[in-house]
Amino acid sequence: MKTPPINRSLGIFPKSWSEESAGRIPGNIPIWVGILSELTEFALFFVAYFIAKFYYPDIFSQGPQNLHTSLGVTNTVVLLTSSYFMAKAMSFIRINDKIKCERYLWLAFSCGCIYLIIKTWEFHWNTLQGFSANTNEFFTVYYYMTFNHFIHVGWASCALLWVIFRLRSGAYSAQENSGLEALAVYWHMIDLMWILIFPLVYVLR
Amino acid sequence: MKAINIIKSMGKLEWFLAALIAITLLNTFLGEQFSSTTLVSILIALTVTYKGFIVIDHFMELKGANKNLRFLMRLYFVIFPSLIIVSAFY
Repeated sequence: MKTPPINRSLGIFPKSWSEESAGRIPGNIPIWVGILSELTEFALFFVAYFIAKFYYPDIFSQGPQNLHTSLGVTNTVVLLTSSYFMAKAMSFIRINDKIKCERYLWLAFSCGCIYLIIKTWEFHWNTLQGFSANTNEFFTVYYYMTFNHFIHVGWASCALLWVIFRLRSGAYSAQENSGLEALAVYWHMIDLMWILIFPLVYVLR
Repeated sequence: MKAINIIKSMGKLEWFLAALIAITLLNTFLGEQFSSTTLVSILIALTVTYKGFIVIDHFMELKGANKNLRFLMRLYFVIFPSLIIVSAFY
């Protein structure tokens, strides 16, 4: 695939970090700046979780037992499947099969919507059980992490619609698909964050 | 017979997806059945690292791509699962 000019023109990194020395950058540099920023943001959440768990071990031991674990598991499977659909979409654009690529992008979008619906239902279920962000330290951290992740899935799903629109208008091909690939790596990053959030709030006692 | 044909037609990505889902279900089972043991926390932390590595290498396709980005992403999935293990000793 032809390297977009922006990957070579920033000139702010050491030469050993260049694509020639370190290897191809999937998507483009701006999306990776965004991804690394998001990872830093979530890292702060995780550190907050571990500090809070250190000070309130009993509350964090009981907290997951109050959650609807089945909904958490379902959402994990849905997000993992969406990542698979994104990877398939990328594999089809590389052979210029735009119809199958679009089909898999719609499937990934559907998974994003299913995740948002399930999460909304879960928040509603928590409210019915009398739990909120003010219930205790565990629920404060739970809402802090999961609502933030919810927002990320929401805007990434909107970005998916934009990418589908761009695909249909002929912007992507086997030769040039960096925009599509940028969204794909961002989507996988969101999936990765859920892979960490899931055991922290639903599984570990 | 149909199930065997489906398994035979599965590619690499399909196997990775099946592994990720199986690990998720196993983690949940461990957490539900054997709560608050250090060994369970260590097992869960290791599987989280493994899941992260699969997504980073095969879905994000960083395995054959930029080695610095791959290193940073994999490091993330070493640091936080390590904290899970540390937190098991609180």
